Amino acid sequence: MIDIDIKNLRRKVENINSLPTIPSTLKQISKVIGDPVISLKEIGDFIGNDPALTTKILKMVNSAFYGFPGRISSTSHATVLLGLNVIKGLLVGVSVFEAMQNTMLGLWEHSLGCALTSRLMAKRKGLKDYDDVYAAGLLHDIGKIILFLEFPKEYKETMNEAEFKEITIVEAERDHFVTNHADIGSWLAEKWLFPRNLIEVIKYHHKPHLSKNAPIETAIVHLADIFMRANGVGFAGDPFVPAVNPVAFETLKLSETDIKEILEEMEDSLEVTEELSL
Amino acid sequence: MPKVSADKLDPGMKLARPVIVSNMILINKDIELTETLIKKIQDMEINGVYIDGPSQQSISKDEALAQLDRRFKKVEDKPYMNVLKKLVKEHIEGLYD
Repeated sequence: MIDIDIKNLRRKVENINSLPTIPSTLKQISKVIGDPVISLKEIGDFIGNDPALTTKILKMVNSAFYGFPGRISSTSHATVLLGLNVIKGLLVGVSVFEAMQNTMLGLWEHSLGCALTSRLMAKRKGLKDYDDVYAAGLLHDIGKIILFLEFPKEYKETMNEAEFKEITIVEAERDHFVTNHADIGSWLAEKWLFPRNLIEVIKYHHKPHLSKNAPIETAIVHLADIFMRANGVGFAGDPFVPAVNPVAFETLKLSETDIKEILEEMEDSLEVTEELSL
Repeated sequence: MPKVSADKLDPGMKLARPVIVSNMILINKDIELTETLIKKIQDMEINGVYIDGPSQQSISKDEALAQLDRRFKKVEDKPYMNVLKKLVKEHIEGLYD
């Protein structure tokens, strides 16, 4: 168990800019998206001034628009089309995972697969804000990255314990930290002024029945997470499939045919993720 | 049944699934691709199509199913997990057909 209480841990996570292990791009991005009066144009300009970031965002955006490859060719087009919240989500996703690419192998693939699968389930359920659900799928495990960057030794021990004891990473996190990655991710999402629904998905993706404002979106990301693990796509900290939350599963009212079709569409999406390694 | 990207199609390949655009069948399954059809698929910006023949999977079917059992072993008796496992199993088996 790490020697820090929950209040101090939260303070530490919220002061992400002073964490020595956080890369400078993420610090800059954190500052930009944490600004309550930032405009869509300012965010577009911020991305546009960084060619590497522009390339990555456009790759992500065009993959999200699966079936319309190559349709979005400028960041200003992307920001107008997707809106502030989704663009903020993509920015954080791209920069955070870049920080992780050599450490927690497979989490990027897991998260991107979750994002794409969440989006296709949201569309199937008739949700209008399916791009927001994509962003939620992408960021649902952001707390793991923060824990890994800040406590690398302890987090590796946590993953080893999960595998050795055959428990999920959430259960193992409880033994090593005073909280878990879902809470930690939600602290950051609040600090970054993400919309309420996105904060709820991150906070409750392992307890979707507790989501009051976004029960469908949370259930979708919860199930997408399970589909990724069930199919062995990527790596999310432990090799096991967690049990589906019965309330969430019933909320989505998916038939066996629905699930079969989702798995097939998911397979198509996953081919896209291979092209999107950062 | 591998999915082949539009730029890697060759004349003579046979479609394992229809090519569908906006809920309409553009080219039916079992049709053999020609230069003209390939050009059409590429022009429509279709990502890829399913071609007859075995898929290339990185591990054997038996190994894939053994891994599936291991991933599910702690939760098989939990609500709905047997249904989910059955569907995922069928899906994985389908990748090898």
